[in-house]
Parts: sequence; C-alpha cells; structure tokens
Amino acid sequence: MAMEYTEKYRDGRHKTWKDLWIVRPIWTTFKLLVKTTIHRPITVLYPYESLWNPDNYRGRPGLDFNKCIGCGMCARMCPCTAIILVDAPDDEGKTVSRPQVNMGRCSFCGYCAEYCPTDAMTVTPIVELAEYTRSDLIYGPRRLAYEHTTEGMKVKNEVTLYSDWKEGRETRYNFYEVDRPELNEKKCISCKKCQKVCPADAITMVEHGKNEKGRPILWPEVNSDKCVSCSRCIDACPKSALHMKEVY
Amino acid sequence: MSDEKKVQIPTATEIAEGAEVTKEMVQEYKTSGMEMDKMWITMGPQHPFSHGLWTLKICADGEIVTDADPIVGYLHRGWEKEVENRTYPKIIPMADRLCYAASMTYTHLYCMTCEKALGIDIPEKTKYIRIVADEINRLQSHLMWMAAVGTDLGNYTAFLWCSREREYWMDMNVRLCGARSTTNYPRIGGVRNDVYDIDPDLKDEDHSRFLRDLVRCCDHFDKALWDIIALIDNNSTFISRMVGNGIITREQCANLGITGPAARGTGVDFDIRRDDPYDNYDKVDFDVPVLTACDSYARYMIRVEEMFQSTRIIRQAVEKIRALGRSAPYRLKVPQNIPAGRTFCKLEDPRGESMMYLVSDGTDHPYRLKVRSPIFVNVSSSKYLLQGCRIADVPVIMAMIDMCLGETDR
Repeated sequence: MAMEYTEKYRDGRHKTWKDLWIVRPIWTTFKLLVKTTIHRPITVLYPYESLWNPDNYRGRPGLDFNKCIGCGMCARMCPCTAIILVDAPDDEGKTVSRPQVNMGRCSFCGYCAEYCPTDAMTVTPIVELAEYTRSDLIYGPRRLAYEHTTEGMKVKNEVTLYSDWKEGRETRYNFYEVDRPELNEKKCISCKKCQKVCPADAITMVEHGKNEKGRPILWPEVNSDKCVSCSRCIDACPKSALHMKEVY
Repeated sequence: MSDEKKVQIPTATEIAEGAEVTKEMVQEYKTSGMEMDKMWITMGPQHPFSHGLWTLKICADGEIVTDADPIVGYLHRGWEKEVENRTYPKIIPMADRLCYAASMTYTHLYCMTCEKALGIDIPEKTKYIRIVADEINRLQSHLMWMAAVGTDLGNYTAFLWCSREREYWMDMNVRLCGARSTTNYPRIGGVRNDVYDIDPDLKDEDHSRFLRDLVRCCDHFDKALWDIIALIDNNSTFISRMVGNGIITREQCANLGITGPAARGTGVDFDIRRDDPYDNYDKVDFDVPVLTACDSYARYMIRVEEMFQSTRIIRQAVEKIRALGRSAPYRLKVPQNIPAGRTFCKLEDPRGESMMYLVSDGTDHPYRLKVRSPIFVNVSSSKYLLQGCRIADVPVIMAMIDMCLGETDR
C-alpha cells in the first residue's frame, strides 16, 4: 500500500543507488558516523560558554539613563504592565521620572525598545535573570543600564505613511515624527497642565488676548521638532481639549 | 466474538445421565463469565501520548477501541476575554501565545484581520516577508510534529534528527524576530523590522546576510529531510502502525469540519494559500500535496511534502524581496482606532484553517475577537478516527492531527 505514495511523491527522486531500499538509511547513518567523529562538538558547555545571539535578541530591557526623557511611552505600550515610571535622582541630583521594570511580569516582547522615541530603552541579550526573591526581580532605572549597547539593539520603528506609499514615495519616518496633539480652543481653560507634564519641553503657553475677568488666555503651542507624540498632555488635560491628530 | 460457535455445555444432570463431555466444553466452561466488559480508559492529562494537557477517554473492548471522548480545557486562559481590555498593538504579543509551535501564523492572522478591518493594503515587501516568516514557522512546526511522531513510535533517532534540523529554523527565527518562539514579529500594517537591517553586510548595503543564510538553510534542509525520511518512510515499524490506520473518509471530513493536512490526506484538494490567496501567495508557485488514502500514513506524507513545498516558497519569496530592494517600505503607519464593523479573516495554519472574527466598535480596543482554532475542530473527530483501531495505535493516530493546546483552549 505504501507504493501508492512512493509512486506519487517519491518517484523521480529514487534515481541513485543510495536511494535503494535499505542502502539509503545505512548510507545516511554511515555518513553521520564519519561526520560526528571528525567534527568538533556542536554542544556548548552552558555555564562556561554560551550560544551566539543576534543583536536584536530580546532579553531583558536595557536603559540609557541620561538619554531617557521620561515620556512614559514604554509604560504605555507595555502589554504586561511590567513598566511603571518612578522618580529617580539624575546625575545632578534633580528628581526625574524614569521607567522601572518588573522582570517578573515582563514577557520579553520588546515593545519598550521599539516605541522608545529617544532609543534610550533597548533590548539586551541578558537572559540569566533568576533571583532569590520577587523584589529582586524589580529593576530600577539605574539597574537597567546595559553597557555594550549596539545599533541593532535599538529597535527602529520606522513607518511609511499610507498616502505616501500609495503615491509611490518611500520616505520613512520615525513613528513619533508624524502625530501631533491638536487643541480645541473652546475647551481650553489655560491651566498649563500640558506644559508641566510634557517630557520634551515641546509645549509653550502662548497668550491670546484676555478674558472678561482680565486674566490672560493661554493656549498651548506644540513645537513640532521637540514633540515625541507620547500623548501625556492629552492624558493630563482636565477638559479633554487636546487630542492626537493622526496622520496616515 | 459473536461469530464464534457457542458450545452448548450440558448441565450436571445431563452429564450424570451420560452426556458426552468434550475438551471444548471444558474450555468454554472455564472461560464463561470472564468476557470483558467494555472499559473506559482515561489517557491524560499527564500522559506520554498527549502532547500537551488534554485527556482522551477511550472505550476499549479488549484491545479494540470502540469509542473515544476528548476532553480539552486544561489550558484555558480566557484569551478572548482578555484581549477585549487591550489596545490593538498590545494584542500582538498575546496572539503569539496562542500557538507555541507556529506562533507567527496567529500573529499574522490577527494583523491581517486588523488590516482588513481598517481597509488598508500593505506593501509588497511586507507580504513577502510575512510569507517567509510563515513558512519558517510551518517548517519548524512540522519538524516538531515529526519529532513527536518519532518518539510516539519509539524511534528516538527520528526525534533527535528532527530536533537538530529544527534548530536551524529556530536560529532563522531568532535572527528575524529576536526570539525563538514568541516571535512578536508582524505588526498591523507591516512587520517589526526590515530583513535588510538584520546583520547587514557592511561592505554591501543592498545585501542582507539573513536572506543569504535563509537560502542556505533551505538548501541544507532539502538534503537533511531526505535523511529523516529514510528513517521513517520504509521503516516497517512506522508502516505497520500508520498504513490503513485511523481512516476517515472525505464525507466525514466535510461533516466534522476537519481542515488542513488531515483533510488533504483524504483527497480534499483545498488549501487557502492557493484557493483563497492572502498576502501574495498567489504570486509564488507551489503545489498542494493531496493523497486519497485517508489513513495516518497519508497525513504523514502530506506534511513531509508540505515541508518540501515550504522551502520552495521561501526561495521564491526571498528572490522577490531581493528584487524589491532595501528602500521599499515594510511598515505602514496605521490609526490607533479601528472603525466599527465586523471582519472575518482566515489563514492556512500548519494544522488547518485558523480564522479570526473581529467585532470592532470604533475605539482602540476590540469589542470581541473570536478565534477559530483548527485543532479544536480536528480533535473532536477523534471518535471517528479511533473507532476500530487498537489501543497501541491511539498515540500515532492522535499524533497525526498534531495537537497544540495553546490554541485549542485559548
């Protein structure tokens, strides 16, 4: 009964003497015997040596403390809520907001590195993360540092606009270069909260006349070069006056 | 049993009156009352035959299996409910966890569903990269299945050789996505990274070492698969267990909704990649292996032949990617919110037809996302697959549907 299959799919490949009945398995085994005898060992002595991993290998996240602007994009995109923003003193003693990763929750998806607008968050090839207690698994901003960061570890998030691609253009933008927050002036109450939370100092409050009480009407103006489209101003706005204007 | 001629045993009074007592009568007297009742045997959830956590209850009449009842649900994680609270990009890493053997197919399917809901087309290069990624996953999934079949039938060499070949494809996966099995590679509107950015050749900008190694892997694998086939194809252990066992007809296939290699082994000439092409599968040339024998051996043969076809597809897709060049776009910017509507999308998984049904309500998270898993449907046919076979044949017949519990229980 097996002949039916051999006729249909194995026919035409049984041409050489090696493919005959029992000769082929024996030939294969003999070949392997010779190969394994003269070849170097293909196993590695794991704790002493390790396998090669490519640059984009997703181990634990790494962070460049000084490059980070604390925009919270990593915490926003993290599918496991492993990342939260904590206050940490920077090199000059100023308190800044930086990500802290709970490796017990991390699923190694690499979103934090991919969506980081400043490439401060990277993927690293570190996978040996066993600890004695759960609290040891929480990596603070300083502990996340990784020395040997290469270009491949900074996962790029380059996008092409749909309209561009339809017209045949191949321009690639970084994902944070296109979307900008837009203001609905009627709702704005000039509270300056957006300016305070902006991690990139992209928002300036510009005066647009005075209201009936004589106080200045301040509307946020977004500096398009500095903005990283992290949506923090949109979340902070108490009157939902800001919304993200998406460009495709 | 019923066909055998029953020996009438004379009663004690008849014997006392001088009735003849033969040897057969004595034998029958000894064994009467010892016929075995039908017995339900529970195999699983922790059992060498079940690749994953599931239970198969079989009704055995002596050595013959008369009925079977699969029980799944030990791995239920509430996937479909969980995704309703997540934004669309955050579901992609979760879709990886649906099927741990070929994770890319479900991520691909999810991204395809979202793109269809958004009504956007994706760049050519992305389509070919996705084809390559899908076929790598198909190969490694089939190799894992083949390794499992080897151990099920006591051939440990087959297991080791398949695992060895699978490592090459795993390495390709790592270089493409950065992880071995939880790939997280396709994105809505594109893929995570360009193949040209992986391990770039510093001397030649337009040359990708990854694509070169991929073709080398294909060349190596085509030869290595023949070595593995030599272990199994004409091996009498495999043939006697697989040929003529686990027979399921075309009609039963249609009634039970069996798809994938199991259906193609019964003569159903249908493959979504060819008959309802998605992502440029219509622009690559490949054959769909179909056999009409309906038994386990046919399913085995189909899968092996699919592996040859996969390398063929990868080679063509690599050529297409090279022709498109480095500068071609690979990822489009997509809106965060998907407009309200209902979308249905399907794709050829290594195990069958997987489908997703998305109900979106205009927000940044889905209202409902239903997954149709091929194995959930295929395993429900175990009663018809196993009826009439022997208990020792159960592992290999169930291995031929390639169980994967991650997607079955969701």
